[in-house]
Parts: sequence; structure tokens; C-alpha cells
Amino acid sequence: MIVSHNELMAITNKAFLGMHRTCGEADEIASMVVNLQMVGLNGIRHFNKATQFLTQEKDCPVSISQASVGVLNVDLHGCSLACHLPVIIDYAIEKMVGKKKLIIKLQHCHNRWLAYSELVKLANKGIACKAQWNNGTAPKRTLYILNRGQITPEIFLSNDMSNSAPSSDHDMTIELSLKDFNVNALSSDYETHIDSSDLNNAQDMAWNKGIDVDDAEWAILKNTATAILVENSEQSQQGAGGLV
Amino acid sequence: MDIHSSTDTATHMRDPAVVMAPTRLGAMHQNRISFVRTLIRKMAQQQWQVSQHEWQLSAQGFGHVIYKLKTENAEYHLVVFCNDIADDERNDRVIAEKWDVTFALVSGAVSQALLAQLQANVPLQEAGRNPNNVLVLARANKSVRVFQHLVSKLAQGQQPDTQELAEVGYILRTTAVYGNGKFGIADFKLLENNSDFSQSFSAQMCAVYLLRQFSLDWVHYLAEQQGGKKSVKLNRDLQRYLGIGNATGLGMAPYLINHPSIVDQWMSSREAALTTVLSNNITADKIEPLQTLLEKAISHLQQVVTINTDQQAFNATARADLNTLIGKLAELNAKQTWADLVTQSTSLSLEGQEILLSCLMELYPEQVDQFQNIMNCDETLSLPSGKKVQDLIAILESRYQWAIATDFTKAENNYWFWYRSQEKEEPRLGIRGEEAGEDKELPLDVGRQTYHLYQALLHSPARTSLAEFLIQHPQFRSIARRAWTLGHKQMGDIQMNVLHKDALPIHLLRCKLAVFGATKFDPRSNLWVRVTFFQGAPLLDEIHDGEWLFPILPEKNTLSATSNISQGEL
Repeated sequence: MIVSHNELMAITNKAFLGMHRTCGEADEIASMVVNLQMVGLNGIRHFNKATQFLTQEKDCPVSISQASVGVLNVDLHGCSLACHLPVIIDYAIEKMVGKKKLIIKLQHCHNRWLAYSELVKLANKGIACKAQWNNGTAPKRTLYILNRGQITPEIFLSNDMSNSAPSSDHDMTIELSLKDFNVNALSSDYETHIDSSDLNNAQDMAWNKGIDVDDAEWAILKNTATAILVENSEQSQQGAGGLV
Repeated sequence: MDIHSSTDTATHMRDPAVVMAPTRLGAMHQNRISFVRTLIRKMAQQQWQVSQHEWQLSAQGFGHVIYKLKTENAEYHLVVFCNDIADDERNDRVIAEKWDVTFALVSGAVSQALLAQLQANVPLQEAGRNPNNVLVLARANKSVRVFQHLVSKLAQGQQPDTQELAEVGYILRTTAVYGNGKFGIADFKLLENNSDFSQSFSAQMCAVYLLRQFSLDWVHYLAEQQGGKKSVKLNRDLQRYLGIGNATGLGMAPYLINHPSIVDQWMSSREAALTTVLSNNITADKIEPLQTLLEKAISHLQQVVTINTDQQAFNATARADLNTLIGKLAELNAKQTWADLVTQSTSLSLEGQEILLSCLMELYPEQVDQFQNIMNCDETLSLPSGKKVQDLIAILESRYQWAIATDFTKAENNYWFWYRSQEKEEPRLGIRGEEAGEDKELPLDVGRQTYHLYQALLHSPARTSLAEFLIQHPQFRSIARRAWTLGHKQMGDIQMNVLHKDALPIHLLRCKLAVFGATKFDPRSNLWVRVTFFQGAPLLDEIHDGEWLFPILPEKNTLSATSNISQGEL
């Protein structure tokens, strides 16, 4: 079915609020989901997957340490990236002052696809960004490159792990740089390329024609969003002012 | 508008603590840059044309009607469905499921296929799905009393009892007017580059204005069906006097709380316009028009019928205040500015003061109207890099005293909790500790969140970076973004603890309705208000740049002479 941007924002917002998490901002998370969905990368599916675990995960601040000059280690304690990435990026940008690049090593996190829109914001600030992570299931390796001033990233996928550095399936490395990345050199051993222009076109289409969503995924999201609703009662009906 | 004049204006604006106080927001009135006013000016200046495109109603008045709107740039259609509903199904609340009239404003042509789709979905409102060439989805109920009185009198060839009209002021009353992507319709973003409706809420206002014409056409049609050649049209002065009613409940309040940048923009633009006006020296040629407007306001308040005893008292006090003010106009001199008059008038009731401000803005269209174009804004709430804990503390201490000075350990400051009901997600208020649902409380508690943020900041080293503070306290990032962003805007947040036992959400409703251009405020409770839109506005076939402010009932001896012309002759 087709839904509007505002509908998807509102329903994701409600769905997250209904979980009553201390960490995580409903409007930021809704933007992550909507922006990913609009470029055709299944934002709702990733959020629905996250919601299965969110209420059982820890709900605590991340731990950050400086591993070496220009490298931050961030332990998310098994939490969703969606709940912490904005605050981590704010911190990282401050740590980047006076440096040409910074590496953020995220450990013990979930829902890494939802990083998409936070990283897009960086390009608007004149910072190029490269993110990569491994996964237990296909695609086993993902590379995301967004050079300065671009609207959408180049994304590369691969199931070939032979050239991959050892890494946990719950980690993600984000590299921020004031210089653009060499897309061709970095992506040479990836089999699948999702072109930024395809993502861009999908986004334009979503704005103009509405956002295409999978009916079943939409139904799950709608159901999650009902958690914040309070059962109706006679007393409750008076709480809206009543009619005179 | 050039930036220099805007900046200069900003330095002389009134204190946000005055402007954004809830009681003052709850006394606001329509002004020249209220959205309905801007729309009418634009329609007149650009000569938008409206015509009846289809009229498919039964003799009983049920079926559908389509109006065509032609602008300089495009064509739109208002598609109206009239339904036969039982009296006990007529309910103004969001939980209603049937309405007398449902309607949609559509961009472009209405093909048979689209009409069928609209027919199957528009009458269902929230339960339907609509395509994204629908810009506005809305519904309205009749004022049964006015509707029946008008049809019956006009059918008999008589004009109605004007007092019947004055008590209500409309034939149809909207109960929700949806835009911006609701239920599948077009997102507002799609209109950003549409010069007809790029201003927020302008498409909704236009749909309501066209509905007003439909409400008149509808009663004329039914009067003719019943009375044949004997029937007459409603006197044009009385047609002009009837607007569209609106019933607004608590549901509008969360919008204002959740869109603080928009509220700031509306209030800052009004304040900028007002500041420009107030800087003018008082001149003799402006005294008489001011007096006329104030007298009109007094008549308007005299005619407002409300069951709310507080509002009755406010209106009575405002009338007395304005009479006193009129008596002092002769003492004004050219050495004074209008700002001096406003300063001298701070002893008036808030209703009186707000009416004076709206009247003063009316005197300088050439200075005020330019501000109508700066009502939209970027809603991003963000924190800049490089700020310290002490920087945010400074903002909270200068702009959020209303929140940080409130003792949220006291029960009365946490009395209410806000939630959404399973019943059509209607926003409601519950008493904390007494009613179910507290565990699902909506985070509309801006004051309380700011208070807790402030307390946490005070317990952190002042020179700690804000980013580091938020790594340790991520639960505050959302309110920190809001406070920082709004704390740097001209008017900022509404200064109201909405959890307080005595908080009146109706103040929030009144503010938004006044910005839209509502008149005739009739509170039905502390959470519910009826108003009119376009009451006194020009009719579609006479639309002009001349303006109206406070609608008043035409006097019998001044009613224009169309009343005895039968419909057959027109």
C-alpha cells in the first residue's frame, strides 16, 4: 500500500513512544525509519525487527573510550543503534575538531541499517562518511559510502567473507573524514552495488507518489503503535472535554 | 522583507514571557495576517475563480457536489458529499463516525474513477484511504436549527429571523479539517513549491472557504425544492454574515506542543508585524478608523453568544475597557507612538488589549501584510557542536524560568497526565493517581522535562561539554534539543505547564484558532471551543481585497434589497 511521509513519521513515533524507553528519541528514530523506507531500503522491516527486541534490551547509556588518537570505541551494551547513534555522532563531531578523520568503532549493537539517515546528515555538514559492518546472514558484508555534499550514499553488498577482516556480527565501523573516500578502490571486492542515483530516484518517487510499504510490515508497525493507547472507559470519555 | 528591518524589529519586540503567557494566548483575536485573511487577499489579488462544476443532489439535498477552483497556476476541485444521518449520529467529537457533509479538496481534475474512489472513502474520513492528489480531507455537521430555519423561511419567500442567525453564525460546522498526509492524502512537502498553497494550512482554509459557499448554495437549493418559485435567496448581507462554524477539542493542543518551532514562527511574525506598527507616530488620520474598529469590536462582543460564564465576563469587561479606551483617543497626540498607547493600555483586560493590537495592525496594511509570507519554518530541533553545560544552563535560566522555577515535586504541578484513547486515538486528560493510563502518558510535559534537565545540568561540571553530558544522560537529548533551539528563537516555547491542576488547554486552542483567523469564541468547557471562520468575509462572487475583522449582524434597516427577489427571478 501507499502511505504518506507524515503518516509513517507519526506511526513510528507512536510505536517507539509506546515502548517507554529511557534512551532513544522518538522523532529521530521515526526519521531513521522513514528515510530508509523512502529510498526503498525497508525501513519499516528493520524497525519491526528492532521492536521485537527493544523492550528486552538494556536501556542504559553507551560507554565511550578513546582507543588511540582519532579512534573512539563505543560499547552499546547490546542496544539498538537507533537509540544511541544521534548522541554518539554529536560526541564524535566534537572529538573530530582539529582532525582530518575519526574512526568510531561501535560494539555490541543492533539494527545497523537504521544508521542510514544519521549518516546522510553528516554529508550535509561537509563530512564524508564510510560505514561498514558484517552480518550473520546475507548480505554478509555491507559498505556504505557517502562523500561530502551527496544526498544519498553508494551502498555495496557482498556474501564473500574471504577478504574480510575479523569482526563481530554486532559491530559497525564508521569513519568520518574531511576528504572524500575513493569509492572505486574501497568497493572493488563487493559483488552488489546499490547506486546512489537509484536511491535518489526512489526518494523522489516516494515524495511525489507516496511511500510504498509492504502491507504485512505496515500492519505489524500499526499494531506496535497501539501500545501507547489507553483503553476506553466512561471516565476516560470525560477526559476529552465532553459535549455541552 | 529585508533582513535589517527584521533584525531591528526583533530588538524591540515584547518580552516572550508576556507574549507566550497562556492567559494572553487565550485572549488572542484574528488579525490581518491570520491565515483566512491572507487567503482572501490572495484569492482577490490573483483573481481566483470558483464555479459550480457538478450538482448531483437529490430533492432532499443528499448526493454530491463539485466546485472548480481555478488559480493562476492550476485547477482544483472541492468534492462535497452530503449524507443522510440521524440526529443521534451527529457528534462533533473525533469519535464520531458519520457526518452531514464530508469533503475533499483535490488537485487537478476529478475523473469518474477518482470520484468513485472519493465516494467510497471520503465519507469514512479516518477509516478511509485517499490518494495523494487529495490536499484536504474534512467533514462538517449542520447547525440543525439554523439550517431548518433558513430552508423553511426562504422556501416560504421570507427572510430568516436575524437573531436565530446571530446566535449561531453559520450553517455548517467543521469538526476536523485534515491536511499534510493524513490518511494517505498529500504531504505538505508536496505543496512547498506550489505557489497557490505553499503557506501552511492555506489549502485547509481554502477548502473551508469554498464550503461556506456550498452551505449557502445548499440551503438555497433546498428552499427552491420546497418552495419553488415562491422561494427567495438569503439577503446578501446575511449571506456575508454567515461563516463556517468549527468545533475544536483537546486534540489540537498536542499539535501546538509538538510543533514548537511553528508556533514560535507564527507568534514571532505577528510580533514583528505588531512592532513595526507600534513604532509609528500617532497621526490624526488613523484615530477615526481605529475608533470605528474598536466600536465594531464592541458590537461584535455584544453579539457573541456563549454559554461560558467566564467568557461572558471577559467579553463584558472588554467592552467596558474598549469604551473607556475610545473615550481617551482624543487625548492622543502626534508626539506619541502607538507603542505608548499600548503601554498605557496594559491595565485593560487581556481581551481588551488583544483587540486593541488586532485593530492597530488593521491600520497599516502596507506595513503588516508583508509578514504573511514568513509563517512557515524549518522544524528541526538541534544542538550545535562545542557547547558546554553552562551554555544550556544560561539558556534555561533566561528563557525557561516558567519551567525551572516550578516545583515539580508538588502534586498540583503534576496533576494531569495526557494520553491517547483507544477510541480513535482521541487525546485525553486523566488525573494522575486516580485514572488508568498513566503508564502510557504522552511526553507533552515540556515544563517538567525542562525542570529535570536543569536539575541534572546543575549537578554536572559547568564546563563539561554538552555532548559528553548527553552521552551520560541520553534521556535528556530530546528536551535539550528543544530548549536550545526554542531558547534561541524570538518568542520560543509556550510558557505553560500543561500538567498543572489549573492549566487550561483551551488557551492553546484559542491561540491556534486566532492565528487561523477564527472569530466568535464560544468555549463549551475548558477543553472544547466553538468558533466561526469567514463570518463577515466577502462572498465568492464579490471577493475583494477589502477586509473584515469582527463580524457583526447587519442591522435590519441596512439590509440590502435582495430579500424579496424570488429565486426564479435570479
